[in-house]
Amino acid sequence: MSNSQASTAPETTVDLEKRAYREGVKACAPTMLGIGAWGMVTGMAMVKTGLTLWQALGMTFLVFAGSAQLASLPLIAANAPVWVVFLTALVVNLRFVIFAAAIAPHFAHLPWHRRLWHGYFNADITMALFPRRFPAETVNQHEGKVGFFNGICYSNWMAWQGGSVLGILLASQIPESWGIGFAGTLALLAITIPLTVNSAALVGVIVASIVAIAAASLPYRLGLLLAVIVGMTAAMAVDTYLDKKEKA
Amino acid sequence: MSAVDTWLTIILLTVATIVTRSSFFLLGHAVKLPPKVQHALRYAPAAALAAIVAPDLVMANGALQLTWANPKLLAGIGATAFFLTTRHLLGTIIVGMALYSLLRVML
Repeated sequence: MSNSQASTAPETTVDLEKRAYREGVKACAPTMLGIGAWGMVTGMAMVKTGLTLWQALGMTFLVFAGSAQLASLPLIAANAPVWVVFLTALVVNLRFVIFAAAIAPHFAHLPWHRRLWHGYFNADITMALFPRRFPAETVNQHEGKVGFFNGICYSNWMAWQGGSVLGILLASQIPESWGIGFAGTLALLAITIPLTVNSAALVGVIVASIVAIAAASLPYRLGLLLAVIVGMTAAMAVDTYLDKKEKA
Repeated sequence: MSAVDTWLTIILLTVATIVTRSSFFLLGHAVKLPPKVQHALRYAPAAALAAIVAPDLVMANGALQLTWANPKLLAGIGATAFFLTTRHLLGTIIVGMALYSLLRVML
């Protein structure tokens, strides 16, 4: 590309993706403290369960899924069969299948290895922030999406892994009673509020909260999965009902 | 668990992450979800986040703690009020943590 035309030519695709990337970083930045705190708690838990330094580092950098890691630790400590730990993690991760179903259509035009790569990074924060910028209606528009998505994902990854490594290294120095993990909950709480855009979403949030609390004792964090499905369905039911009322 | 078993577990957990997170990404155009499901998926993020947050706010050690003596619940309410008035995410985390730490000592 020639530089002499840069000032007059319309924004190139590369520039556009770069700008979108910075936007993604900016969207994710305020959550990084909470995510880092959460990662730290998970890092500490891994070491306290008896994983060696290398095992803990290997787990955080390969597995990269806090809730599945936390669910697997007591099983590893109790010497459970390897396949039991695997199935547990699979069930704990089921909500990611729903996240993938929601986000994947935006990237369906990419080659498979890039879809695999993006999917690996599609965690809770991405799922919360990406549709606010690119709602489902924009599924056929491609500009800026990869940049924005990566901006969120890589910031989230750095915050999580940074916190996790710190937790692994400082495991014996930080008392659990400080409750650092609560910062993660607060970050998610603050992201949930602007997502509650209409009465349908509000019903979804309330129903999901109640189901999650009522079903908290279910094994494999199935309560969480159930809450997502029931909350989502309730929100859609309200939406459909209001639509019908409007048309009638 | 032996070192070999632990590493095998770590590798299998990695597979569990990829299988679930990349599931629909890998399917690509091969699967088209019915419009009803697509509609419901719009509300997935809010429902999922609420389902993670709510139990942490109102439960302690597996039991419901819907009382004014629950520091997480009070700090959560304070943080919500702060966010609604300021729309400042990082500030909400800091104020919420400060409230939580203060309440934990006081209550």
